[in-house]
Amino acid sequence: MKMIYKLALCLGVAAMLSGCERPPIETVQTGYRGTGMEQIYNPRTLVKQAPLNQAPIAAEAASPDGPKANQVYQNVKVLGDLSVGQFNRQMAAITQWVAPDQGCAYCHNVQNFADDGKYTKVVARRMIQMTQKVNQDWKPHVAETGVTCYTCHRGNNIPTQVWAAPKDRKYANSLLGDLAGQNMATKEAGLTSLPSDPFTPYLMGAQPIRVNSTTAMTGVGANANRASTKQAEHTYSLMVHMSESLGVNCSYCHNTRNFQSWEESRPQRVTAWYGIRMAREINNDYMTPLTSTFPPHRLGPKGDVLKVNCTTCHQGAFKPLYGAAMAKDYPELQVSAEQ
Amino acid sequence: MSMLSFERKYRVRGGTLFGGDLFDFWVGPFYVGFFGITTLFFVLSGTMMILWGAAMGPTWNVWQINISPPDISYGLRFAPMMEGGLWQLITVCAIGSFVSWALREVEIARKLGMGLHVPVAFGMAILAYVSLQVIRPVLMGAWGHAFPYGIYSHLDWVSNTAYQYLHFHYNPWHMIAVTLFFAATLALSMHGGLVLSATNPGKGQVVKTPEHEDTFFRDLIGYSVGTLGIHRLGLFLALAGVWFGIVCIVVSGPFWTGAWPEWWSWWLNMPIWRT
Amino acid sequence: MAEYQNLFTSVQPVGPLHHGIDLPRGDDKRTGEPFLVHLLGRIGNAQIGPVYLGSLGVASLIFGIAAFNIIGFNMLASVDWNPIQLIRQLFWLALEPPPPAYGLNFPPLEQGGWWLIVGFMLTTSILLWWVRTYRRARQLGLGTHVAWAFAAAIWLYLVCGFFRPIMMGSWSEAVPFGIFPHLDWVSAISLRYGNLFYNPFHALSIVFLYGSVLLFAMHGATILAVGRYGGEREIEQIVDRGTASERAGLFWRWTMGFNASMESIHRWAWWFAVLCPLVGGVGILLTGTVVDNWYLWSVKHHVVPAYPLGSPVVVDPAILGVKP
Repeated sequence: MKMIYKLALCLGVAAMLSGCERPPIETVQTGYRGTGMEQIYNPRTLVKQAPLNQAPIAAEAASPDGPKANQVYQNVKVLGDLSVGQFNRQMAAITQWVAPDQGCAYCHNVQNFADDGKYTKVVARRMIQMTQKVNQDWKPHVAETGVTCYTCHRGNNIPTQVWAAPKDRKYANSLLGDLAGQNMATKEAGLTSLPSDPFTPYLMGAQPIRVNSTTAMTGVGANANRASTKQAEHTYSLMVHMSESLGVNCSYCHNTRNFQSWEESRPQRVTAWYGIRMAREINNDYMTPLTSTFPPHRLGPKGDVLKVNCTTCHQGAFKPLYGAAMAKDYPELQVSAEQ
Repeated sequence: MSMLSFERKYRVRGGTLFGGDLFDFWVGPFYVGFFGITTLFFVLSGTMMILWGAAMGPTWNVWQINISPPDISYGLRFAPMMEGGLWQLITVCAIGSFVSWALREVEIARKLGMGLHVPVAFGMAILAYVSLQVIRPVLMGAWGHAFPYGIYSHLDWVSNTAYQYLHFHYNPWHMIAVTLFFAATLALSMHGGLVLSATNPGKGQVVKTPEHEDTFFRDLIGYSVGTLGIHRLGLFLALAGVWFGIVCIVVSGPFWTGAWPEWWSWWLNMPIWRT
Repeated sequence: MAEYQNLFTSVQPVGPLHHGIDLPRGDDKRTGEPFLVHLLGRIGNAQIGPVYLGSLGVASLIFGIAAFNIIGFNMLASVDWNPIQLIRQLFWLALEPPPPAYGLNFPPLEQGGWWLIVGFMLTTSILLWWVRTYRRARQLGLGTHVAWAFAAAIWLYLVCGFFRPIMMGSWSEAVPFGIFPHLDWVSAISLRYGNLFYNPFHALSIVFLYGSVLLFAMHGATILAVGRYGGEREIEQIVDRGTASERAGLFWRWTMGFNASMESIHRWAWWFAVLCPLVGGVGILLTGTVVDNWYLWSVKHHVVPAYPLGSPVVVDPAILGVKP
């Protein structure tokens, strides 16, 4: 074979195999032996991910003594009944979690800290309320571990993993080439051809995710299960997202021989069920009402606010920060004044 | 005697690999040979163990009988009998039976002055079994990764193992294997159909010739692989299908731990066209 | 000296090329001057051509190429007419059937209308090709076994793309035209209907699929193994049994206690291969029309194995409500 063809063949094979990994690998059995319910990990990947999931060390707790923050400072609408020391400690933490480079000036007018002129302060206030709500009312999902601003932000102004409504395709209204919201290689669909926006219907809307029948035979009339095969693709797309977000596979929650059965599923599936509802509440009650607060360059391509999905907090870990309990050092973030 | 009309002249001594004349005889239509004895041993012990495992289980319903491998926590060690050890012994008997059967086929082929293509082809199937039940579990560090022995339970294993990679259809070697499997089935239907169409041409017609066979496919698609070529092609499609099936599953786990759709990012991100 | 294994032809005698058995009156003349390809000759026949381009064949090609082009241009349009992106994203692209909302009505062109047109054209092309396989056999005085095998495959194609969608009342149930997208369809239909592994027709179809692969490996290997006795001259061996057939038959008789004949092995072959799509098509047709959850169907028919459940047993949170 001519040299050039040999070279091309070698390069081709190298390119193709460059994606591959190597043993040894680690596995965790999640079901009865022989059912194939397992989680598979590449230890070399885990080593790389570990530093990305380190929780910052909390400052020593401040004394609760002395005047309350809302007595000393103006325009304190949340966290007002903390002591000044506690309040400042919380502010310092938030700065470290969300704007370590810009410092206080990211949210505050440093000439007048009470001033609400910067949109970031208005957003941050609402997000503190959101954090408190999640920690108090969504324990079926976040348990006692809870969340802090760091869980999503990880030291960034904007969490790196957020979503917005996808741009309309350029030929969306012409005669040819409508891909029907799928059949593209997108990160959202995990590089499958499944629908590329499972978030709008399921993590903002409350479209039914379940597609299976609970009876063996096809029902008729009012008893018919009208979910289509296409709808199953949409659910599948959401499930691919959830799996990739947590760095797990389908058997983490399900016995895939009977996806729908709760008896054959693992407890993690219940946690996920609450997570979906929690994400909906965050997106509908906290993020969407803030749309007009954000400047245009902080909105999505269709002018909608950036929203959360599973990967916003989890970022590839089965529990955000591998379950590091940050919230316990900030009890003020664990009680909500809202209903 | 259960001999065919022309069989007697072929029943000669010789061709054995091991044991010489000692086991060089037939029982009914079956050739025995040394490896017939070993086959019998492994098949009987393996079957008895399966039956015993079924008896220890909750049911005799043939669809529900299940004998599972050990928990992954046992690693590559021997497990207690009721905790997967039985499965391990059955696997040993299975491999013993299959290898014995293949070696017996070698002896039979040699005796009949035939090439060894059949036992070699069977070897590929044995390699598939051994890859699934030995090679891949060893690479992954535990016997528990192998499939259970049960009609529907082994399908539960297939389903869950595939979903470990979120969407197993995106495994490129699986795609190649499936394509080869369907191509082999297509080719088989064409070959069976062609030979039967020449030898069963319908009322009033005479039996046709290989030239008719060739002409049919040349007329149809411009090419006819021919009488020898189709058998080479069929054997190749079948063995290549099994080979890529082996590759696709041995790679899943030991050489790829993520979702199979993600594997395609190397193609999408090539510098010449990445977006 | 290593033994010849009958895998590749080492010496290719070259003689006059064959222009085909004479066709009866009424047929066209064949097209193309046959030529040899040496590399092909190492495996099978070296001759390529001539081909018979009859009206059926030409019509089939026209419909087929038109369908192919409509798919292709839709894919090209979907990547903003960028040919490099077409190649890059080719495996992901598709021509989608209509969304479920349109039922069996004709949808707008860009929302499944093209898919319907392509479906019609491709089906026409395939059916015309089927008639061609039937006719070519009849014109050569052959039996029509190849055509009827092809019919089994067409049955499965029509079940997936035509009969089942009609019975379900929705074109959206059909398969998209695309490499990865048609695989997504396969997964989706299994997910929707309670895991197709528990569909007994699906299981049986797989038995025939794997069985066909097994059979061709067996038959191919057997014929190659008796090549030295002219085993590949199967028609001759069928009408006048020679030592090739005798040894081949005895190999299997001595191995497994029974054997086929040189003719009957081709019947085993034909039936195994044909039953794969035939039975599979039945299984798909029943899915969603009669059975809505194959796992639960299998539970009803007492074939599902039981595993110990986790403890405590998991309960559907929807029963408890969103805020417990």
